[in-house]
Order: sequence, then structure tokens, then C-alpha cells
Amino acid sequence: MRKNNLTLKIEKINKKALCLSLALGLLVSGIGFPEKAYAKENDETVTLRVCSWEEYIDEGDWEEDELIELPDADIIGENSLVDDFEEWYYETYGKKVEVEYSCFGTNEELYNMLTIGDVYDLVCPSEYMFMKLMTEGKLVPYSDEFFDESVEENYYAKGVSPFIKRAFEENEINGEKWNRYAAGYMWGVTGFLYNPDVVSKEEVSSWKFMTDPAYKRQITIKDNVRDSLFGAVGAIKSDLLTSEEFVNAEDYHERLFEEMNDMSDETLSEALAFLKEAGNNVYSFETDSGKADMITGKVVANMQWSGDAVYAMDQAEEDDYYLAFQAPMESTNLYFDAWTMLKAGIGEDKEKQHAAEAFVNFLSMPENAVRNMYYIGYTSVISGGESNIILDYIDWAFGAEEDEEDVVDYDLSYFFTEDEDSEDYVLTVPAEQLDRQLGAQYPSEDVIRRSAIMKCFDEETGVKANQMWINVRCFNLADIPVWAFVLGGIIIVGVGFILILNKKQK
Amino acid sequence: MKITFSRKQLAIPYSLVLIIFVILPLLVIGFYALTDATGRFTLANFLNFFTDTNTLGTLFYSFALAFVTTVVCLFIAYPTAYFLASSKWKFKNVVLMIFVMPMWINFTLRITAMKEILNAIEGNLAFYPFLNSVIGLSYDFLPFMILPIYTTLTKLDRSLLEAAKDLGAKDLTAFLKITLPLSIPGIVSGVSMVFLPAMTNYVVLDMLYNSTYIMGSLIGSYFSAYDWHNGSMIALVLLLIICVFTILTNGDAEDANARGGALL
Repeated sequence: MRKNNLTLKIEKINKKALCLSLALGLLVSGIGFPEKAYAKENDETVTLRVCSWEEYIDEGDWEEDELIELPDADIIGENSLVDDFEEWYYETYGKKVEVEYSCFGTNEELYNMLTIGDVYDLVCPSEYMFMKLMTEGKLVPYSDEFFDESVEENYYAKGVSPFIKRAFEENEINGEKWNRYAAGYMWGVTGFLYNPDVVSKEEVSSWKFMTDPAYKRQITIKDNVRDSLFGAVGAIKSDLLTSEEFVNAEDYHERLFEEMNDMSDETLSEALAFLKEAGNNVYSFETDSGKADMITGKVVANMQWSGDAVYAMDQAEEDDYYLAFQAPMESTNLYFDAWTMLKAGIGEDKEKQHAAEAFVNFLSMPENAVRNMYYIGYTSVISGGESNIILDYIDWAFGAEEDEEDVVDYDLSYFFTEDEDSEDYVLTVPAEQLDRQLGAQYPSEDVIRRSAIMKCFDEETGVKANQMWINVRCFNLADIPVWAFVLGGIIIVGVGFILILNKKQK
Repeated sequence: MKITFSRKQLAIPYSLVLIIFVILPLLVIGFYALTDATGRFTLANFLNFFTDTNTLGTLFYSFALAFVTTVVCLFIAYPTAYFLASSKWKFKNVVLMIFVMPMWINFTLRITAMKEILNAIEGNLAFYPFLNSVIGLSYDFLPFMILPIYTTLTKLDRSLLEAAKDLGAKDLTAFLKITLPLSIPGIVSGVSMVFLPAMTNYVVLDMLYNSTYIMGSLIGSYFSAYDWHNGSMIALVLLLIICVFTILTNGDAEDANARGGALL
């Protein structure tokens, strides 16, 4: 999405409006055409209610010069992927589908929307939220046909990266594997987006950076309990997590997972102290302003998700301003957003389930995955299977020019293949790209090695973690100096007295 | 069948709005506030409010913020309204319009603009979160303070001031004994329209990078942690505080008139 800063800002403001207009547009187009109404009468149209993140799908309308020319395909987004899906579904299956597309802002918002009775068929929560929905029995499992790699239209099963596939098979909750209920969409890691002219790579290589007094009021961090807590745990356990003994241990991966998911009272109280200190040091906790503030240079570093970091780096580059991204050495939070089907919406309706699975498959077509990646900056879970399109796209976007001098080999085998000795997935890229978009969009194997998934809090931990977060963010009564109490008391009594006196006079 | 209209029927649309958007939500809030996760009646949420030092601290912070904002608004608004109401300047309506005009623009846009201006002046907004919030909120709510005061001052009976002068009162004495007491309904109306919203308008704080929770954001954080019960209780208690405030400030019919005028 190579747009200038002004459009970015306007988009920020209009994010919800855009999403709404997309939804409205689809609704109107559904109402507007008589042949569709006719189809409806014949009961042929399947309505699919999709709810996803804001700005998380290609909405089309690319400029002509944005055409992505790859050896196997020329890719450009003319219409939104939602419109394209409706057309594709009709051409492929001979049935009409009508997508009602709506958006949510946070996982918690989605959950609350579902609780108060909003009905959707297909939603795209993050891993901890679909785990919560799984444990609550709110999801419909994918059909066996969906995983049949011999079917041509099963682009997800055919194209999903082995790395993602393994993650969705190995991770389970209550004895059920993720992949039964969830099909990946985008993934990424957390870290710091920073201005390399001011901040050094070493400094942002630790989560302790949040409390660095050298950058007082120049860093923004995420305004949500999970991301901040992950960083805090990384920071307070920094010495252990970066010790050679720990890193080289045979069971490093398991131990890292345990340490990063350690939500004991002791850890939480240390995290509280750390985040309080961070809160007094940082510019602010941000929900939405992080990217824009980096691009405009208000702050020098921002705790960020890799996908949004890519987007911000792209935007900044428009003004010849270069930002970088680094996943701290202690650990980085590996996250996934995945499509899940809801019982409340799909129920027993097989036609609907077919349309929902087709929607996931359509988005998993390598061409469409590229369109999404180009448009939103996040990384698709699709590696393309037998198609070369994804790899070609990475080469197209980040590969070194022939005459470039400072180049390095970048090995993405972990993402593309299970064959450990394969040399087919080594790209030649400019060295500077390692800290930029490429390093964020497709983290190196080292980063993946030190990544950890953050579990879904159980109810008790959830309450404790949220209480910790409220403690971080609230002005505590104990912080109020005595004089303020006295002054406040005098003011309240005074105002009350005047008001009562005033009334009596009348 | 003969359809008859009576004046009472005209109230139907408003009653519907009232029931759907005020009464029903209030009942829902009340229900959640007084139940626990299993749906059983409990007063625990109520006790939580008054024992949790975070909630009380946040209440204090919101109060302090709203109080300072109100005082700032009052000190800017009163002289402005006084000048506009008493002057015979032919452009005074234009000036009044300029003061009211910001109300026609969405407040998030105004605060975005304000943010850039403050940023240019201060360099780094994050060092003065409280000050910035007061500036932002005052800017946002100033018209709501000017209008009611202006309305009461224009309605003021000039002959009272002339009489005071005839009897030898100095300007200051006349102001303190006549103008100020008679404009109190306007002040009260302005204060209640600034103070109460300022306590919960967390969007302004968010936009100006004040990371400390006020009542609005605290309620929001309970809801995003799926704790609708404590969140509702905080909303309910806040509502009660507002009720007490309104009862204390709500005078007789004259005040009500002033308030009506305040709504343009």
C-alpha cells in the first residue's frame, strides 16, 4: 500500500468509515441488481457473514503502476477481494454467494460482539481468542474435504506453509488441535519499530529498552495487557533468557515457552513494577497512533507487530525516511490470526460451511495472498505449495538488484519447505533489508527460534493479569499526596456549601 | 374509522427514544451491576468500587481534571460572555458565532488539530499529560460554558444596573451585587455541561497521549476484560454521582429557562 502520509492520516480517521462503506457497498450491490434478487427468490444465494480486522483485506483500487509483475503471474488489485470472491465462487461452483463483510477492532471487542448476540459465520481472531472460542465450544470444525490436497480448489491445504502447518498441528488446547477449527490467515512477531538514526540496534534488542531513561518520553508501547505483559516478562527475565546456557539448552524451545508463559503471582508483581516504570518513561500507551507517530517522527521507537511495522516502514520510505524493525533477543511473541467458523452462524448449514471454506481457500490462492500482503503489510501463512508466486513476490519486493554490492543470502527454508537441506529458498537481498521490511515480514530463522506463542489465559490468570494492567494504568489512591486530599476536601465541601446556601436564599 | 390526533400523541416518538435508548440501557446496566458472573444478585461490585484504591484514585483524578477544566472554562467564558452581552458593538454576533463555530466540527478533528499545535509549541507532548488534557478538554467544552452565561447575561434587566448607578454604586459593586448573582443560573448550567462530560471524555486524553485512566477508560478496560459486572457498577455509581450533582444544582423554574436557552 504505497500511499503518501496524508492519505495514511485520512485513512486512520476514516478506517471505520471505510469498513462501513465496504459493508454498505456490498449490501447495496446485493439489493441493487434485479438478477440477484431473482436468484434469491430461487433460494440459490448463500449469505456469508464475515467479520475481520479493520483494513485486513485487499480492497482493490490499485493504481495501474502498482502492477506486480512476477514470472508466473501479473498481479493487481482492481476490485476488492470480497467482490472477486463472489465472482469466483459463482464461476467455480455455479452458486451465488453474498458476503456481508464487517470489521472489529480488537479480539476482546469481537468476543463482546459475539456475547451480545451478533451473528457471524466466519471470523478472524488471533490465536489466543480462537483458543478461548474453542474451549467454549463455539466453533465448527473444518470439513475433511477442506484438507484434501488432491482437490484443485483447496488452496489452503495445498499452499499453507509447512512452518504454519506444524504450528497449527502441534498446538492444542484441551486435547484438540488448532487446525481442526482454525485456518491461518496472517502471522507475525512482536518487536520494536525504531528510527536507526537515533536508536541503535543493540538498544532495541532487549525488552528492557522500554525503561531506558536515555529515551524518556520518546517510545510508545502497546495499550493492551498481552503485548505489554509479554515484553515485561521478557525484560524481567532478560538475564536468564539471553544466557548462553539457556539458549543452547536442548529443550530451549519448551523452556522458553514455559518462561514466557509464566504468569505466577511473583512474575506478575515484577511485571507490574516494570510496566509502572515503563509507563513513567514512555511517550504513551498507544492503540492506533503508533505507526503515524513513527512516520512523523514524534517518537523514536514503538513496540509493534511486524505487519504494522512493515506498513509503517513502507509509508516512511515514501518520504525517504527509513525505519527499522527488531525482535528483541529475549524472545518475541509469535502470533497468528486465523479464520474460524462459528456455530452460532453456520450451524448445520452445509452450503454455508462450503462457502466459508471456499472463502478461506480463495484468500489462500497465492495471487490473492500476494495482494493482501502488498496491501496490508502483514505476512500471509501461505507459502504457495507448488506455486512459486509467493517466493517470486518476496524476490520482487526485496531481492537485490544485479549491480548491488552489499548483499547477503537470506534463507527462508523454514517457511517454505520441510527439506532441511534445500537450497531453493535462499534469496539474495540487500544487507540493509535484514533490519527492514524483509526482516519484519519474513523474520529470519534466528528470530523464529527465539519466538514463543503466548497461551490463552485461563479465567483466574485472566483476572489477575487484567488487575495487574489496571494497576499499571490507574492513578492509585495511595499515590495521592495528603495535601491534595485536604485541598480536594475543602473544594468539595466549599462548593456544596455554596450551592446549599444559594438554594436556601431563594 | 376516525383517526383523532391529540397533543399527547406528539410525545410518542420521544417516549420511544427515551425507552429504547435511555430506560432499557439503564435497566441493563443496573442488572449487570448488581449480579455476578453466575447471574446471582450481589453487592460485591458495589463494595469493590469503594474499596479498590485504583477506582477511587481514578475517580479522584477524573474529578481533579474535570474541576480544573471547568475553572479554566469559567475564567475564559465569563469575561467573554460579559463583554459580548454588554457591548453594543455591531460585530458581536459574528464574534459569538466564531466562539460557537467549533461546535459544528467533529471534536476528534478539532483535537487532532490541537494536538499538532501543542506538539509544535511543546516539542514533546508526553511531558505534560495533565496540562494537555486540560487544554484539550477546555477547548472542546468552552462553547458549552459561553452560551448559557451569555444567554442569562443578555436577559438581565438593564434597569437594575441603572438603578444601582443612580443610588451611587460603583461599577464593581454593581457587578458583584447584581450581575454576578443574577448570572448564577447560567454559570451553574455551564458548569454542569462542562464538569460532568469532562470526567468521562477519555477520547481526548487518548488522543493527547495522557495514559492515565479516567472513569470512561476504566469502564472500558473492565469491559474489554469481559468483566461487565464491575464495569457496569462503576458506570452506575458515576451516574448516581451525576444525579446528586444535578439535584444540588437544579434550582427552580427560572434556572430551567436558562438551561433551555443554553441549548441554543
